[in-house]
Amino acid sequence: MSDYLLETRNLELAYGPFKAVAGVDLKVCAGTIHTVIGPNGAGKTSLFHCLTGERQATGGKILFNGQDIIRKPSHGRVALGMARSFQLTSLFQNLSVRENLRLAAQGRDGLGALNFWRSVEHKRSHWNTADQVLERLKLTARAETLAGELSHGQQRVLEVGMSICAKPTLLMLDEPTSGMGIDDIPVMTDLISDLGRDHTVLLIEHNMSIVMSISQRITVMSHGQILVEGTPDQVRNDARVRTAYLGEAA
Amino acid sequence: MLDLYLFQLLNGLGLGMIYFLIAVGLTIIFGLLNFVNFAHGAFFLLGAYLCYTAVAITGNFWLALLIAPLVVAALAWAVERLLIKRIYHLPHTFQILVTLGIALIIQEASVLIWGPVGKSIAVPPELRGVLIVGDFIYPYYRLFLIGFAALIGLGLWLLLERTRFGALVRAGSESTETVSLLGTNIFRLFSLTFALGVGLAGVAGVLFAPLRGAQPFVGPEILGIAFVVVVIGGMGSFGGALVGGLLVGVVQSMMTSLWPQGASLMIYGAMAAVILVRPYGLFGRA
Amino acid sequence: MSEKNPLPVKGRTPALLLLVLASLVALPLVLPSATLATEILIFALAALACNLLLGYTGLLSFGQGIFFGVGAYGAALLMIHLKWGMFSALLGAAVFGAFLALLVGALAIRRKGIYFVMLTLAFSQMAYFLAYTLSGWTGGDNGLLDVPRPNIEIAGHVLVDLADPRHFYVFVAVLFLLIFAGALRVIRSPFGSTLLAIRENETRAAAIGYDTRHFKILVFMLSGAITGIAGALYAMLLHFAPLSNIDLMMSENILIMTIVGGTGSLFGSLLGAGAIVVLGDVLSELWPRWLMLLGAILILVVVFMRGGLWGGLAELGKRLRPSRPSADKIPAKTKETL
Repeated sequence: MSDYLLETRNLELAYGPFKAVAGVDLKVCAGTIHTVIGPNGAGKTSLFHCLTGERQATGGKILFNGQDIIRKPSHGRVALGMARSFQLTSLFQNLSVRENLRLAAQGRDGLGALNFWRSVEHKRSHWNTADQVLERLKLTARAETLAGELSHGQQRVLEVGMSICAKPTLLMLDEPTSGMGIDDIPVMTDLISDLGRDHTVLLIEHNMSIVMSISQRITVMSHGQILVEGTPDQVRNDARVRTAYLGEAA
Repeated sequence: MLDLYLFQLLNGLGLGMIYFLIAVGLTIIFGLLNFVNFAHGAFFLLGAYLCYTAVAITGNFWLALLIAPLVVAALAWAVERLLIKRIYHLPHTFQILVTLGIALIIQEASVLIWGPVGKSIAVPPELRGVLIVGDFIYPYYRLFLIGFAALIGLGLWLLLERTRFGALVRAGSESTETVSLLGTNIFRLFSLTFALGVGLAGVAGVLFAPLRGAQPFVGPEILGIAFVVVVIGGMGSFGGALVGGLLVGVVQSMMTSLWPQGASLMIYGAMAAVILVRPYGLFGRA
Repeated sequence: MSEKNPLPVKGRTPALLLLVLASLVALPLVLPSATLATEILIFALAALACNLLLGYTGLLSFGQGIFFGVGAYGAALLMIHLKWGMFSALLGAAVFGAFLALLVGALAIRRKGIYFVMLTLAFSQMAYFLAYTLSGWTGGDNGLLDVPRPNIEIAGHVLVDLADPRHFYVFVAVLFLLIFAGALRVIRSPFGSTLLAIRENETRAAAIGYDTRHFKILVFMLSGAITGIAGALYAMLLHFAPLSNIDLMMSENILIMTIVGGTGSLFGSLLGAGAIVVLGDVLSELWPRWLMLLGAILILVVVFMRGGLWGGLAELGKRLRPSRPSADKIPAKTKETL
């Protein structure tokens, strides 16, 4: 038994002979902000796909709260308390911000979402959750705006917001600052740090300053495997990490 | 008994070659333009009708075989310039609906011009008569059909594999952006390809005309078969259209003497099965 | 597309139902015959059911004719052979429709996009040829003749005589109103909001916890049930269940009515059905080739006027009304995803 919230054992994702994820033992402790970094092609995204259920892993185990979820489809993992955001913004463009969040809150409702007779107005709890998240995202003023009409930075924030509506235990964020302008990034960093207080957060990130400032643990991947894992200081000073990013010559 | 099977088999091959021509046109259009053309069957019947008119005017089937597909292709080119080019960016479902509208218009226009009852076209005098081998008898025209369609197929293959145009079409199927960066007028490529694809359906219509005549309401049936062939063979695959076409043609032919409705059931059932089990068909790629 | 905005405002439902009621009352007065008016309502039901799939869930189904035909055959056979009455026959038609929709839907949704469409097409053709072949049940090419139209009775006493076309119209109108109100409720429910989410972005919907397959199958079944009822009513209207009920052209007609009326608008289904049925009736006398016009209309609507007739009316309404501060309503974009 493990006291890790999320753990993988010898996780593998193979495309024919090529192994995008080649035996990964990831360990994420509850209550931490844990970032996965690595050069392009290291397998971060593939690992992420396995964890979210977007791709079916070809080997190993994924343990969430001790339960092997490797066979569970994406929507099933949400019910267990896992939630994710997308690297390429994936919102309900023609629906309002508030409705986007309400749908995300309703998503964990299981059978309640199948209710076809009562009005949507009826389940106040979802509306309340949406309003609370709106506050946290500081988007209350834009509640009725269509998601597609938000600025890119606001959309990225909403992306993250969608994932917390289901009151998850684990948040998995895929490059949350992707494409954000330099003024918007602090908003996201603050949000993630704030979220880290009451969620476990697993991030993929490229932006090193963010990674170093908010992470409690960092996993460095290379060639489908874990190269180094440790605190920001440990990782920063590790020679292997430098080599992996900058090549043998450095 | 064997003679009967051989007869039906040859019929099936002939039918299959016609299906191949229709399907390969559809698959080229889908491969390069990522466009679903629900009007394909309508252009087929237009080819048959134009053949009738050309024969009526000139008295010469061979001239009709040349002219009718060209007219169909020209019409397709015009439709592409006017309408189709506006809807490339739309999802497939919108393309389906628009081309459905075009098909309706062509179908009704055909009845308007040529009347509701079908027209028959005589087999050209050079090809009348039958081949006799021992006890086996087979019409010359049907043999010609197989050969000529194969010739067109070969010509098409050479066009796609050995010419610059063909290379552009094949490259464009992979990435239209790259091809346009190479300096090609991508819009002209699209129009030409659309015209070519539809023109092939026109040729099929002309070849088919002496067999069953020109009918105004065969569009949906032909379209259905074309899609079955393309699905079974694989969207965007030349070889798939050939193998798929022959398969469907032979099955249909063999079953027609036994149980006609069964043939259709089997064919559409096969289409559904392929989509469910192996959507890329026999030769299609991911 | 006004009804695309899923934020339900309490005031709108009664207004919409009143509009429907007004239309139902006006229809037989404006049209030359009650039979024509009934036909419009029957196809409006079919278009409404198609809209649930197309406008609200984003599924383009060429298989609606399957459910329409099965409903017609089913009800006819139940009434002819088992002597079932009006309501039981309609219930039977709904069950048959829902069941076929379960089969078709469960298989078809395994694929998406163009492959989904083609699956529904293949199933539609298979159903047609099956119906042709099983002529013992369906009458094959000739169809089922002498389909009864049972009166509404209790213990043998006739409550309402439905042989009179005007009485039958009222009956169908009441049914339509009930089904319309029901559909409206479904749209405004959590289930309905999820359908919209699936249409907007299915990947996202799955990622936030919805098992999209369940939702798709359920809406298919609902659509199949309503379409089955429509088919049954049609058979009772004509006293005849032809093979054409189940052929591809029927599926296409239903789709055209849905689109012309306005996908994503329930009331649009009534508009679309009304327009197409009237057009067909009026024009087919004058000009047998009126389908050409239909083809042109379809192209125009899809390319230029995505919101269909309902969208057009809504636009008109907006232009005619004096400008107000748009405090509470953000006009929904006419951008549509299929």
